[in-house]
Amino acid sequence: MALIVEAVNVTKTYMLGKVPVEALRGVDLKVETGDFVSILGPSGSGKSTMLNLIGALDKPTAGTLLIDGVDISKLNDNQLADLRLRIGFVFQFFNLIPRLTARDNVELSMSISNIGRAQRRKRAEELLETVGLKDRINHKPAELSGGQQQRVAIARALANNPRFLLLDEPTGNIDSKTASEVIGLIKKLNVENNVSIIMVTHDQHLAREAKRTVQMFDGQISAEVVNQE
Amino acid sequence: MKAIDIFGYSFNAIKLRKLRAALTTLGVIIGIAAIVALLSITQGLQATITNSLQQGLSTNTLIVTPGSSALGAATSGGGIGARGGGGGGGLGLGGSSGSGFNLYVNYTDQINALSPDIEGSFAVIQRTGYVDAGGVNRSVSIYSVDFNQYAQQYSKTFIAATGTIPLSPTDNEIVVGTRVNDPGQNGTLLFNAGDNVGVIWTNATTLPVVNETYTAQVSGVLQKIGGFGIGGPSDDGVYIPITKAESFFGTDQCDMIIVQLKSSDNATITNVSKAITDHFGGQVSVISSTAVLSLLSTVFSTIQLFLGGIAAISLLVAGIGIMNIMIVSLIERTREIGILKALGMKSRTVLTIFLGESVIIGLIGAVIGIVLGWILASVTARVLASGAFGGGGFTITPLLTPEVLVGALAFGVGVSVIFALYPAWRASKLKPVEALRYE
Repeated sequence: MALIVEAVNVTKTYMLGKVPVEALRGVDLKVETGDFVSILGPSGSGKSTMLNLIGALDKPTAGTLLIDGVDISKLNDNQLADLRLRIGFVFQFFNLIPRLTARDNVELSMSISNIGRAQRRKRAEELLETVGLKDRINHKPAELSGGQQQRVAIARALANNPRFLLLDEPTGNIDSKTASEVIGLIKKLNVENNVSIIMVTHDQHLAREAKRTVQMFDGQISAEVVNQE
Repeated sequence: MKAIDIFGYSFNAIKLRKLRAALTTLGVIIGIAAIVALLSITQGLQATITNSLQQGLSTNTLIVTPGSSALGAATSGGGIGARGGGGGGGLGLGGSSGSGFNLYVNYTDQINALSPDIEGSFAVIQRTGYVDAGGVNRSVSIYSVDFNQYAQQYSKTFIAATGTIPLSPTDNEIVVGTRVNDPGQNGTLLFNAGDNVGVIWTNATTLPVVNETYTAQVSGVLQKIGGFGIGGPSDDGVYIPITKAESFFGTDQCDMIIVQLKSSDNATITNVSKAITDHFGGQVSVISSTAVLSLLSTVFSTIQLFLGGIAAISLLVAGIGIMNIMIVSLIERTREIGILKALGMKSRTVLTIFLGESVIIGLIGAVIGIVLGWILASVTARVLASGAFGGGGFTITPLLTPEVLVGALAFGVGVSVIFALYPAWRASKLKPVEALRYE
């Protein structure tokens, strides 16, 4: 199986004012295609930093981090942007563009990757149907519930056929009933559509939904658990 | 990202903030409208004056007037002004110069002998006077000329609309401009061709001042000339034979001698001008249409630069407004920029989106501004023509040259883009991690 993420002794140090903060202190991690990994940890454990690195939004201070086989330390801003086209981001706060409809939000990520109008429109409608929002395609985010917005965000993340989905507290901002629907959708995508998934959360229950859980503490990986169905 | 998609995204962002975009655009509209209105009016004015000059001063003509200074003196006489303004018309003759040098009617013979390039020459005596038509006095400029030579020289304007121009006139025959018998230009005629009128000249050279007068027959009324009647025939002119003038005005001293050349090339104009100036010991001014036109063109370029500069300041203010709005918009949309970058958008695409918004604002502003400026110029021209501000109402056709059109468009878009550069650059440089964290 191909590796979508391979981290070897990755460190990341921030400057907080004049004080250096070691957010990551030598992280090793491998994620294979088709996997569903949750990264679990309390706030300050370095999981958000890990998310930013895996999402190619930032570069490590030291160590090697291969995303889809590419060493991101060696990429410039444009190349990082291109790499992000192969990553499906889903944020805690949905981060949809408020003035665009559900369909236009899904289309946006495809228009960034130069897909023609007719083709992206068709795919956007298909994806919204997949996430169960067929009758909401022309609604703007403000007209959708939290769960619906998150499903639009998932559809948007899937639009460019990414190598993996990267979820940041995907149920952090929605009620528990809707959350279980969203997590059901995520698991279905992993099992039925073989979409690789990396999920960052501080919620132990949510983390257990993944095939395996990587626990982080104080900038390092403290444990790895394979979850039972 | 495809250009059309970038443009669509920019347009969408503008649409969301309609009022703000409209106010920003208004700044550009006002600036461009001011520039277009001012330039098209001044260019129209220049075209009208130039055209009128070209009618009055054909290129193969020199005008010799007494007075040693060159063009400066020629214009200081109030000659190049709106018709009806000075009554003097003509080309700023400045009267007899202070030096005591005078031109006389028979100097034409001396001038004709100066160069083989001279076709011929004739004298003009000019006075301000009145025409008395059945008790109605009308202020006019009286020009005494040789009708035959004058008609040859001004074959396009010295043409009778009614009656005829007598080429060998008797002393009592005169020709008048169209505004002399129809002052309002509305068909209400004071007299017709064939009627008798009184010609009056106030002689101030004697004491007490006397009104010299005689009764003349109107042989012909000229067709409408329009414009400002500079140098050549004018709508306010009364033309009497030169032979009559010498006895009527009691002098053979003339105000100008018009010299016709065989060729209109610059070398001939320069050589003959110099020959005439030298012959009279530098005590005459020789004016060629080429020199007047080039002076006029210089004057108008300066005026246009000045007015255009003032208008450009308002556009500068608009530019600062655009920059201000863009920076506010950038701060508001920090998170959006973070999302776009997380989705894989390149920095230069973010830059293009922001610049695209300014291009749209500039383009819309410039187009509306040009239309508005043109309307403004047309209305102004109409108000001037109606004579609402006195001056007898002179006609300007506002002129919107392709240069002004393209220039205004480019300037409007250019200013918008230049002032959007910094905010757009800042937007493109936002780090995705920080932008996403922005609340």
